[in-house]
Amino acid sequence: MFPYLSLILWLPALGALALLATPREQHQTARSIALAVSLLTFVISLALPLRFNAADPSMQFVEQVAWIPQWGISYHLGLDGLSLWLVVLTTFLIPIALFATWNSIHAQVRYFQILMLLLETAMIGVFIALDTILFYLFWEFTLIPMAFMIGIWGSGNRIYAARKFFLYTFAGSVLMLMGIIGLSFLHRDATGAELTSFSLTQIMGDIRTGAFALEFGMEQLLFGLFFIAFAIKVPMWPFHTWLPDAHVQAPTAGSVILAGVLLKLGTYGLIRFNLSLFPNASEWAAPAIGILAVIGIIYGAWIAFAQTDMKKLVAYSSVSHMGFIVLGIFALNEIGITGAVLQMVNHGLSTGALFLIVGYIYERRHTREMSEFGGLWTVMPIYGGLALVMVLSSVGLPGLNGFIGEFAIMQGAFISPALGWGYVAVSVIGVVLAAVYLLRMYRETFMGEVNKPENAELKDLSGGEIGMMVALLVPIVVIGLFPTLFFAPMQASISEVAQAFRSVVAEGQ
Amino acid sequence: MSFLLTDIPRILPEILLLVLALLILGSDVFERWAADEQAALERHRASASLAALGLGMIFAITLLQSGYLYTVPDTADSNYFTNLLRNLQSGIPRGSNVPLPVMDMFATDHLTIIGRLLFTGAAFLIVLLTYDNPPLRNPGEFYSLLVLSTLGMCLMAGATELIMLFLAIELTSIPLYVLAGYFRNDRQSVEAGMKYFLYGAFSSALLLYGMSFVYGYASSTAVAADLTALPTSVITSFDTLRELIAQAGEPAPILLIGMLFMIAGIGYKIAIVPFHGWSPDVYQGAPTTMTAFISTASKAAGFFLLLRVLDTVFPNVVGNPIPVFDEFGGWTGMLALLAALTLIIANLAALPQTNAKRLLAYSGIAHAGFLLMGVIAQAAPFSTDRLNGVVALLYYLVVYAVMNIGAFGVIAIVAQDTGSDEITALNGLAQRNLGLAALFTVFVFALAGIPPLAGFFAKFYIMLAVWQANAIWLVVIALISTIPALYYYLRLLRAVFMMPPDISTPMPAPRWMMASLVVSAVLVLVLGLFPAPLLDVLEQVQVQVIAGR
Repeated sequence: MFPYLSLILWLPALGALALLATPREQHQTARSIALAVSLLTFVISLALPLRFNAADPSMQFVEQVAWIPQWGISYHLGLDGLSLWLVVLTTFLIPIALFATWNSIHAQVRYFQILMLLLETAMIGVFIALDTILFYLFWEFTLIPMAFMIGIWGSGNRIYAARKFFLYTFAGSVLMLMGIIGLSFLHRDATGAELTSFSLTQIMGDIRTGAFALEFGMEQLLFGLFFIAFAIKVPMWPFHTWLPDAHVQAPTAGSVILAGVLLKLGTYGLIRFNLSLFPNASEWAAPAIGILAVIGIIYGAWIAFAQTDMKKLVAYSSVSHMGFIVLGIFALNEIGITGAVLQMVNHGLSTGALFLIVGYIYERRHTREMSEFGGLWTVMPIYGGLALVMVLSSVGLPGLNGFIGEFAIMQGAFISPALGWGYVAVSVIGVVLAAVYLLRMYRETFMGEVNKPENAELKDLSGGEIGMMVALLVPIVVIGLFPTLFFAPMQASISEVAQAFRSVVAEGQ
Repeated sequence: MSFLLTDIPRILPEILLLVLALLILGSDVFERWAADEQAALERHRASASLAALGLGMIFAITLLQSGYLYTVPDTADSNYFTNLLRNLQSGIPRGSNVPLPVMDMFATDHLTIIGRLLFTGAAFLIVLLTYDNPPLRNPGEFYSLLVLSTLGMCLMAGATELIMLFLAIELTSIPLYVLAGYFRNDRQSVEAGMKYFLYGAFSSALLLYGMSFVYGYASSTAVAADLTALPTSVITSFDTLRELIAQAGEPAPILLIGMLFMIAGIGYKIAIVPFHGWSPDVYQGAPTTMTAFISTASKAAGFFLLLRVLDTVFPNVVGNPIPVFDEFGGWTGMLALLAALTLIIANLAALPQTNAKRLLAYSGIAHAGFLLMGVIAQAAPFSTDRLNGVVALLYYLVVYAVMNIGAFGVIAIVAQDTGSDEITALNGLAQRNLGLAALFTVFVFALAGIPPLAGFFAKFYIMLAVWQANAIWLVVIALISTIPALYYYLRLLRAVFMMPPDISTPMPAPRWMMASLVVSAVLVLVLGLFPAPLLDVLEQVQVQVIAGR
């Protein structure tokens, strides 16, 4: 079979190598090569949903090669309904982010493009790795390009932000590494195998068949190790403090990728590892995690409301929105998880778009303070119109993408025995608050009179900028109007996760 | 056992190293000795290139001899080349057939061969690093001392007898004392040499003291023991000592005290807490290239020795690193404590450092903590797990050598240009020489253990091995200690990438230094991404006890 996954995974890295060979001063060449490579990757990745067999819940496009046989580590890739859209989201957002840097990154252009392409490889790798060590490698490797992006091309307090980002996530992943080692040794002891196995599918399979049952205390411990790593990445309240710093200092393209894809690594990990490997502990922890998620929803929204800096506002809105996704995951049923996965894609699209919108105005005025603006609609009508759609998508207006995801999540949480209506009742406040703070931002910047003379001369969006917005708008509308297109391929895999979950939990009781 | 003519190919690398050292020393006489710069440069280049060529050839011969690349099959036709290779490979272990030590004092097993490759390889990279230095005073002496020290390390890796062990350590250390203080007009260098010498002498005394206890204990029980059952008639040989200790039954306190002193003596050489006091000062003061040599090859040789001594002489006091009071003990228990202390103290002490070499010195101490964990894995109940521990330790030593040589090499280039080895000297390196900055990033991330570089896998294997020995608490400490470690490594990278340079002229990177760094960086990448071939080689190591216990 044609190795689609390897191709998509390594093409950006090869592009980064090719960029190394381009002359240092030819910025335009570097930009074109990077964009071409990422677009090519996107086009190839479109083959995944087309060739994906929606009825098959197991891993597809599987590639497995022994890598370090001495320790039972293999190069093992695969894709299922859970990761399908996340991979496509990644390959979709990278060209947009690269295009967004066309006129905003002027220093060391080539290296920015190289880091971006390396980051793409690492992020795709996280979504398709089926070996825990391979997963960990890609997981850790996402840190380096992002930290450099913040630290070199960021603004103001960039070094502090980069270091905080790096150390926070690294601390989390160290715990995860401990979990990975422990898991494999317990698996080896339980199955009596000669070699340790780091294969996620094998360990997961043995858990589902009951060949590998963890003691409850140990399960809780391992669950905790993985959970902290993922919770930092999501980020869940109270592990979120790195996020506003990182977002505010990062360049626009970095923010788009950070919010669009990097945060999804955490929620993806929660489903792939915590839910699938530790069902009993998941059920045990679900109410507590639900409470953390709800606190995150309300807290993120509350703080976002108080911001005067637009980028900070969008950053805190991410904390709130990611809370919804975690809530959906820990509803522990099909509908909740499906909603969560769709909402991951939605959040990537709408928040990515919002960061671009903030980035456009920042490029023109070099400030993001809301008080500096007002009446932009009259000066920049196209910009105003597109921004309105994106804001509404993030608010969750029916007919656009955000609504579908949030609705499914709340439905899932409502019928979930672990959570229930109380969680939904509180989190609805978060939805209302989202409308409040986002529309307030919109009102203060776009509505009213042009009250600053500097703003009267601002140019409306260029063709390229409109192009990027429209590119984001298409999936936003399509998901909003035809959600089944996106639900269908996920369904089989997620049902299997949920069913296996129920059977293991039922066996344990 | 007496020396046989057929033993010569078995110790060929050592013989060649000795010849090389004398050759370098002797050939210097034929150079033009004059006070002008040109003559000094010519002398320096002549000695350096001779040392580099010689070490490279010895490395190649050892590699050929090891049979890791190609072993002549018994059925091969005899011709000039196969005969040559066959003779060369006649003394090396094949399969489970490991030849007895030469004269009962020097084993030529896989452990020794891997040691030879590691030490000559490291010395080769170091010599390349020194090639473009400003000319040294008396380069012949400098390089022959370096080669002699390498010879001592090879002997340390293979020593199976107490006297041999002591001579090997001294042969390694004494040249290094001189090399550390080689810049006679630099106060710091002289201080480093002196400090290294005093500490080294003290640690040798401790080691000798411990050896005398162990020997005394063994030889006094030998009277009662069945002498005919002993493996050799040399009482100081490791095998005999083990037999005697085993025959004496429950180990007496005096033996344990002797063992403790021996561990302490070797502990100075490998710079673990609390025997690490000398290393920051010495590392900071010594010429940077020599710091690289001391911190990698010399430390690695110490670990080879430690592993062999503990595993072949004291297998019945291996003990247990599990933190339950009545189980905890033996040398694994003691080393586990030392490893935990080393990891914690070294990583914390590195945080406030402002001198890059000093920071790397503390990082080296922390790495010694990780390396100790490989020795602790010998407490594992299954022999495959114990072997995994040895493999993990050796893999770590190889990786640590290349990444540390690389990191110090970059500092050496920067110091040559800026005249300073403070962290601030690295400011804006990315703008002054991006290639160098990229290499430095590779080394620093490898030291920090960021995947997919080899440094990560080294730590990972060690932790797997220690987990198998049930010392999970140590794994937890080791993992958590990597977080402060990352913090101080990031300080180096912050200076390189995010600080503005003092002067913006490009930084020259001398050709041969860069060659050495590129080789190291490629190794760091390749060993990380494709560790399987190296692991296959390392798995052939059969430390006696692992096979026999």
